Amino acid sequence: MTDRDDLLVQDFFRQAARQQIEDDGFTERVMQRLPRTDSYKVHRLTQLWTVFCVAVGIALFFAFDGWEVLKASMLTLFSTSVTAVEVFFTTAPTTEVHLNPWMILLVVGFVLVYLPYQTARKLSATL
Amino acid sequence: MADLNDISLVTQVAVFRNKKAFDQLVRKYQSPVRRFFLNQTLGNEQLSDDLAQETFIKAYVNITKFRGLSSFSTWLMRIAYNVFYDHKRSSKREECGVRSVEGEGGYDPQRNLQSEYSPSSLHTPPSTLKMDIHQALAQLKPDERACITLQLIDGYPIGEISKITGIAENTVKSHLKRGKEKMANYLRQNGYDR
Repeated sequence: MTDRDDLLVQDFFRQAARQQIEDDGFTERVMQRLPRTDSYKVHRLTQLWTVFCVAVGIALFFAFDGWEVLKASMLTLFSTSVTAVEVFFTTAPTTEVHLNPWMILLVVGFVLVYLPYQTARKLSATL
Repeated sequence: MADLNDISLVTQVAVFRNKKAFDQLVRKYQSPVRRFFLNQTLGNEQLSDDLAQETFIKAYVNITKFRGLSSFSTWLMRIAYNVFYDHKRSSKREECGVRSVEGEGGYDPQRNLQSEYSPSSLHTPPSTLKMDIHQALAQLKPDERACITLQLIDGYPIGEISKITGIAENTVKSHLKRGKEKMANYLRQNGYDR
């Protein structure tokens, strides 16, 4: 095999290497033929299990008079919050709190910029 | 960067069964996969498309087995190569069955491949360039053809060809050498060196 032969063969295939085949609906045909896989079944079972748990939760909620429990919990939470605010206002004037403005800026930036950006990025990659 | 993008798409398919991500992978690789089959079947477009579809479906079903040790395109081409050889084996079996029924002995796998995929049996009339290439490729044995097209058309290095075909690197080199010699002789005989 001489270099000349090698070049001859390479030249012959060069044009074929550049050939691109148009999709012409091939991808759609493949996507339509994709089978449902095991993980699809698992996903479906997970959804059914979630629906079952929610239904059981709702049934138990009404069976054990959930509204009263919820009302009592909300009242307790409210009174605790009010007490906490009262304590804060009573003790605040005598308490020295050192706040670093850069730290506040960092936290605000993290919450308002970084978290929404990351969430949007991950959602766009998933959907 | 292309590999990272592929891995990101593969992860989305494997973890979330994200069909949009798989759609992007099919669009990206349909051309090289279909071209590979066109070259192996010597231009049989219908068969090539069927085999290419089977390749992508197998890739989708087994995508969790992709470990990222090689590039996604190498992994996909390995599936394509196996799909082609499975098809070839099953058609050989059918051919053997027909021959034994007809009482004809002396099955010749090479002759079988040549007759099944001969350029004259193309389903659609190809262009002159395609016809030339497929006629030239018809001079080669299947393994030689696979190695030659993977190197000279798809641009894979010898190591990757070895991974795709499962053939040892030294054997790949031998196939390439013999294949190129046959091609050069064929091209000279047909006036391509002028």
